[in-house]
Amino acid sequence: MTRSRTGGDAFSGGTGEQILALLRQHTEAHISGEAISHTLNISRSAVWKQISALRAAGYLISAEPSKGYSLDASPDTLHVSEIRNGMKSRLIGRRLLSVAEAVSTNASAFRLAEEGAEEGTALIADFQSGGKGRMGRVWASPRGVNLYCSIILRPEIKPVAAPQLTFLSAVAVARTIERLSDLKPRIKWPNDILIDGKKVAGLLNEMSAETDKVNFVVLGIGVNINMRAEQFPADLRHPATSIFIETGKTVSRSSFARVLLEELDELYLEFIKEGYAPVRKEWLEKSMLAGALVTVSDNGSSRSGRVRGIDESGALILETGEQILSGDVVLGG
Amino acid sequence: MDIKDLKLLVKMITETDITEFEMESGEERIFLKRGSEPQMVQYQAAPAPVFAAAPHGAVAHSAPAAPVAAAAPADEAGERIPSPIVGTFYRAPAPDSPPFVEVGQIVEKGQVLCIVEAMKLMNEIEAEFRCKIIKICRENAEPVEYNDTLFIVEKL
Repeated sequence: MTRSRTGGDAFSGGTGEQILALLRQHTEAHISGEAISHTLNISRSAVWKQISALRAAGYLISAEPSKGYSLDASPDTLHVSEIRNGMKSRLIGRRLLSVAEAVSTNASAFRLAEEGAEEGTALIADFQSGGKGRMGRVWASPRGVNLYCSIILRPEIKPVAAPQLTFLSAVAVARTIERLSDLKPRIKWPNDILIDGKKVAGLLNEMSAETDKVNFVVLGIGVNINMRAEQFPADLRHPATSIFIETGKTVSRSSFARVLLEELDELYLEFIKEGYAPVRKEWLEKSMLAGALVTVSDNGSSRSGRVRGIDESGALILETGEQILSGDVVLGG
Repeated sequence: MDIKDLKLLVKMITETDITEFEMESGEERIFLKRGSEPQMVQYQAAPAPVFAAAPHGAVAHSAPAAPVAAAAPADEAGERIPSPIVGTFYRAPAPDSPPFVEVGQIVEKGQVLCIVEAMKLMNEIEAEFRCKIIKICRENAEPVEYNDTLFIVEKL
């Protein structure tokens, strides 16, 4: 069982994947090796080999003489079939790529989009060797514990409206954390996801556009799910955390990916139909900034003020009337 | 003579039947010649060979003592690259990185010229054709409006 390093569907379409799908259809009972062999038109020894490979990959598959195989537990992998299992998404994730490693999922997704990848394509990596943050900063991306995901959108909107998608993805991540834990995440302008003031997710979107037309937007989403305290870099700029650190419980990464894609799907289809208003309303509810005193630093300069709200374009508006389009926001004067 | 006066002069002459016009004042010398089509305007700082080098119907302006007039026409000749969004203009991918491009540099089609950021949406502006950077119109980290000119380039 091999997982492609870049670009390809890790498991999808493979025999192992097909066997997993069959085992999942038989959660109540066992399925015999003969039935698998017959359904997939492969030899009994090929079935046995694939089962061994799945076990080696962390799947707990029990075998009982005369009854057959059953899937007892799945490892916390990011296999396409794991993520797709029961996924209720119409557009986002309809093409799903899961890779063992990428330099940056945003960079790979951007390239896929340039090559014409369809809207809704999602790329997930188990590990990023060069995860991207804002302005050349690095997003710590250890293997096996977090979610690093990039989604390609091709909205028929003007480039000036594209920053609204930043708020959409922030709301989707906050909703996902709420669905899978008891945590109450808050969104810091424009799209940091915080728990108790500590950053649990980072979002970075990239666009290719002409003057009047969006070619595509890549939504980049990094979520610290099961990361341990010792896995954080020592030189973090702002305090960071993970869902595991906050709750003491691990969360299945494939479930997280599935729910995230579902939430993005719902929000994006609503955005296409009804525009920005519903996203903006929910963002404001989940934000922690209304009336708060903040300092915004950007490229060496900084400004302080009390937050009035966000405008239609998503820009942060201070009580002085100042409109802020970029920068790092911290609470306090 | 500055560019405004020159434009006015060209306009005045094209409204008459005059096909050739020459004027000398101090160190400036202006020669205009009309063809059947509206004219390409060409300026040169070097004085002498202008007449010979000027294409048919072109306006040649030789002004060795007027560097302002010599610098201005770049705006006229080049193509502008506008900002597709309201945002913050960045000349480099990171604060401590060298800028994507410098004045005078020749860039290939698809090469990144700058980033305009709004709400953590990073928009990398690429050259749509091979060109030479004539002018960088905005400072790093400066806010830009929709359609503001970011660069003047010469298409190659």
